[in-house]
Amino acid sequence: MEESKGPNGPLVELSGVTKSFGDNVVLNEIDLRIGRGEAVVVAGPSGSGKSTMLRCINGLEPIDSGSIRFGGRAIEGIGREIYGIRAQIGMVFQQFNLFPHMTVIDNITLAPVRVQGTSVEEARRRGRELLERVGIPDKEDDVPADLSGGQQQRVAIARALAVDPKLMLFDEPTSALDPEMIREVLDVMRDLARDGMTMIVVTHEMGFAREVCDRLIFIDEGVIVEDAPPEEFFKATGSARAKEFVDKIIHH
Amino acid sequence: MSGLWGVLQEHFPELLAGFLVTIRLVAIAFVIAMVVGAVVAALRISPSKWLQRIGGVYVETFRNIPLLVLLFISFAGLRRAGVPITPWIAGTASLGLYTAAYVAEALRSGAFAVGKGQIDAALSLGFSYASALRRIVIPQAFRSVIPTIGSLVIAMIRNSAIVGVSLLALPDLLKEARIIQSRTFETGEVFFWAAIGYLVLTLTATVAFRLLERRFEVRR
Ligand SMILES: Nc1ncnc2c1ncn2[C@@H]1O[C@H](COP(=O)(O)OP(=O)(O)OP(=O)(O)O)[C@@H](O)[C@H]1O
Ligand SMILES: [Mg+2]
Repeated sequence: MEESKGPNGPLVELSGVTKSFGDNVVLNEIDLRIGRGEAVVVAGPSGSGKSTMLRCINGLEPIDSGSIRFGGRAIEGIGREIYGIRAQIGMVFQQFNLFPHMTVIDNITLAPVRVQGTSVEEARRRGRELLERVGIPDKEDDVPADLSGGQQQRVAIARALAVDPKLMLFDEPTSALDPEMIREVLDVMRDLARDGMTMIVVTHEMGFAREVCDRLIFIDEGVIVEDAPPEEFFKATGSARAKEFVDKIIHH
Repeated sequence: MSGLWGVLQEHFPELLAGFLVTIRLVAIAFVIAMVVGAVVAALRISPSKWLQRIGGVYVETFRNIPLLVLLFISFAGLRRAGVPITPWIAGTASLGLYTAAYVAEALRSGAFAVGKGQIDAALSLGFSYASALRRIVIPQAFRSVIPTIGSLVIAMIRNSAIVGVSLLALPDLLKEARIIQSRTFETGEVFFWAAIGYLVLTLTATVAFRLLERRFEVRR
């Protein structure tokens, strides 16, 4: 049996992943393995390909060459089965992307009920538990527009968790938030990581990276230029570009 | 007996019968317009070029043929071709399919306003593209175009009068008014009451859509 296919193999494995938009090579031969239970932070300048990499991992964006495996299984060219894979990967967006025409609890229960066939009562019970876990137990009947940004993002996290994902992808989850709300969202994410969730977090919150993640990855122009535990990363960044970047975002 | 009130008293049963026929005509056409409009809008925003094109052909066809011509084609034309179509089917289908083209365009612009992030969120939860459209995009599009649909329904109520004066033997409000007029020559009085009948319908629709709009408002 191939190493990557066993239960102890990496949960996510990118090999030689290349992706272009027209002439613009956005991901250039990316190799990356992420083990079960690992929390990885991805940083890099604007336009370096961070969002694109996340979107490729759950098949929202097709890749040009290379391969992506999830739980040992290639995710390219599998047709409708990609929907089943996506239901195992939660995604949290910078702009929250809650469904504005539904209440908080309906946002959370929609996929469990409609995609996974959970009963409405069971999904609601789970949904309330999740709302408690993200710290807003009393908001289930509100609509997203009545919540603060930090509350909306926590609902979005609860919604992603409701389908019981094996992997969580976060794309700059705090970049659209007012400073006083960043903490409440990062705290939820930290607890998730401590509970053993595998997660890939694109963020420039270096405090979070230092405190929570197992590995910090730095991407520049579609290439991984650094991949190290955060202590090492902050001690001596090998790449001058990475060092300059990290200095800039830490001291701003 | 004559005068406005006299005419109403004398011909109330026929006018009421015509009024009810118009309501039925508009109600059935409304259902057709919404269902077909939603399907055509879904074609127009589907990822397949071919389906988009089919939706486009529908919209262009029904928007560019006058309603009266549609009525002639659907009734006289199909009859001549041996299709046993009834006036009711020809009338409701013509009015409904015609309005559906406008409903589809309204929904399409509403859907484009919904934003790609909503589809991304639905897909990332495991929904197929088609269910993302059905469960997330179309419901939001519907809500945001309630005012537009309201205007379309009011236009449809007015357009329904064309059905009555076409060759279809459909005894709607305008048709009944004309029958009474040709018998009594009380032209002004009879058409006054017909106008009141249409006004009642359009005002009711206006109020109903205002309420719907308030009830289903989507705040972002
Ligand atoms: N759908 C698309 N079509 C064309 N070009 C795209 C598309 N999505 C992204 N790009 C381009 O790909 C490059 C990488 O974009 P990406 O969003 O992955 O960067 P990023 O690292 O997430 O940047 P940011 O920090 O600004 O979010 C950019 O040059 C962007 O313009
Ligand atoms: Mg990005």
